[in-house]
Amino acid sequence: MVDALRCLPGVGPKSAQRIAFHLLERDREGGLRLARIMADAMTRIRRCRRCRTLTEQEVCALCTNPHRDGGLLCVVEQPSEILAIEQATEFRGLYFVLGGRLSPLDGIGPAELGLDLLDARLGGGEVREVILAISPTVEGSATAHFIAESADRHGVSATRIAHGVPLGGELEYLDGGTLALAFNGRRRL
Amino acid sequence: MNARGSLFQAFVLHRRDYGNTSLLLEVFAAGRGRFPAIAKGARRARHPTSALLQPFQPLWLDAVGRGEVLTLTRVEAAGPAIGLLGRPLLCGFYLNELLVRLLGRDDPHDPLFAFYHAALTGLAGGDDLESLLRQFEIRLLDELGYALALDVEADCDRPVMPDGVYVLVPGQGMLRAQPDDRAERVSGATLLALAQGDRLAPHQLREARALLRRLLEPHLGGRPLKSRALFRRFAVASAPSPVPGSGSGQGAGASRDSTPLGITNRSLES
Repeated sequence: MVDALRCLPGVGPKSAQRIAFHLLERDREGGLRLARIMADAMTRIRRCRRCRTLTEQEVCALCTNPHRDGGLLCVVEQPSEILAIEQATEFRGLYFVLGGRLSPLDGIGPAELGLDLLDARLGGGEVREVILAISPTVEGSATAHFIAESADRHGVSATRIAHGVPLGGELEYLDGGTLALAFNGRRRL
Repeated sequence: MNARGSLFQAFVLHRRDYGNTSLLLEVFAAGRGRFPAIAKGARRARHPTSALLQPFQPLWLDAVGRGEVLTLTRVEAAGPAIGLLGRPLLCGFYLNELLVRLLGRDDPHDPLFAFYHAALTGLAGGDDLESLLRQFEIRLLDELGYALALDVEADCDRPVMPDGVYVLVPGQGMLRAQPDDRAERVSGATLLALAQGDRLAPHQLREARALLRRLLEPHLGGRPLKSRALFRRFAVASAPSPVPGSGSGQGAGASRDSTPLGITNRSLES
């Protein structure tokens, strides 16, 4: 049991032991419930056929929601980022989850990221603008470039979210690369 | 390797997440060669080194440790990141993959480090990517001790003639092509251009690509290079646009069905 718990992120041998003893000694009920829900979730949750996010249905609730704007497609790396964007922004379009970034040295290519599916979606005629919300790393930039080329082929406008100074951040402590990006992406007041 | 060194110049070839907040890096450093290192806590929110510890960013590093994997203690930028985008970026990935696959660990290759830096800068200039890649491949083979004399015939030490036609005989070198040779032929002019580090003419790129591919193959251990496959996808996805480096005048048509990393559409179908 201790060994199995260590598959959780941030749980080392010590924490695993603590959790195991807690469940066994004090909260068997909670442990059983966790086990049931875990087993259920692990077998039932899969990827949405349209946007590749995690869902219990064939197509997720966001994709089937008639009030979302199908002309805007936001491309993210992980399902958790959809949640972050939903909570923080007014974005009312649809999403597409890559599940990573193009990284040849890790063997992650277009097929692993579902870029064929995305390409078909961009070619479908519904999408007007694809918004790339991909990490500003070297691999992220390769991924963004790949998608932008595909968007260009289908006559879809491609944009990427701005990169720059975090709110409450101080310029002095910012790394040079971010500062340069922020400077180049300056806006008229 | 010393337990404690002073700052050295380096590039990150590859990075992956390690634990919850750290990065496991493959570092290529001047005077030290390639070695793995850990950057502790580099993935914490707003940690300034996360932005720096990326491929194609010239760095000053310091590292400690006795084991195989060192721990980075200082990370500083040694200049702005080399801005690679699109095709040049894929070429950069290709160089990194070659280094990760072919360089032994902790084997210093000072000339190669300088050449790598120069090659990246050249890629960022976006100018004749193919010639740059071929030159880098030759320098890499050279540094690894697999060098092959491209400007003399292997069996008689006769210099290669620009108008001659040659074939690569594995384990020996370049020999004058016989009428019944079935191996891919290379013109003497291409060999001389490669040997002298000259810019390759559009019609020479294809020959050079095939030759270097065959030269590298035995050292890659049968596993294909992933960045080649990615480049192939890029080339297919944007088929109408001509290949970089082949755009100038004559011969552009001949190399249109090929990509800088040594893939032709013919090999794609097989």
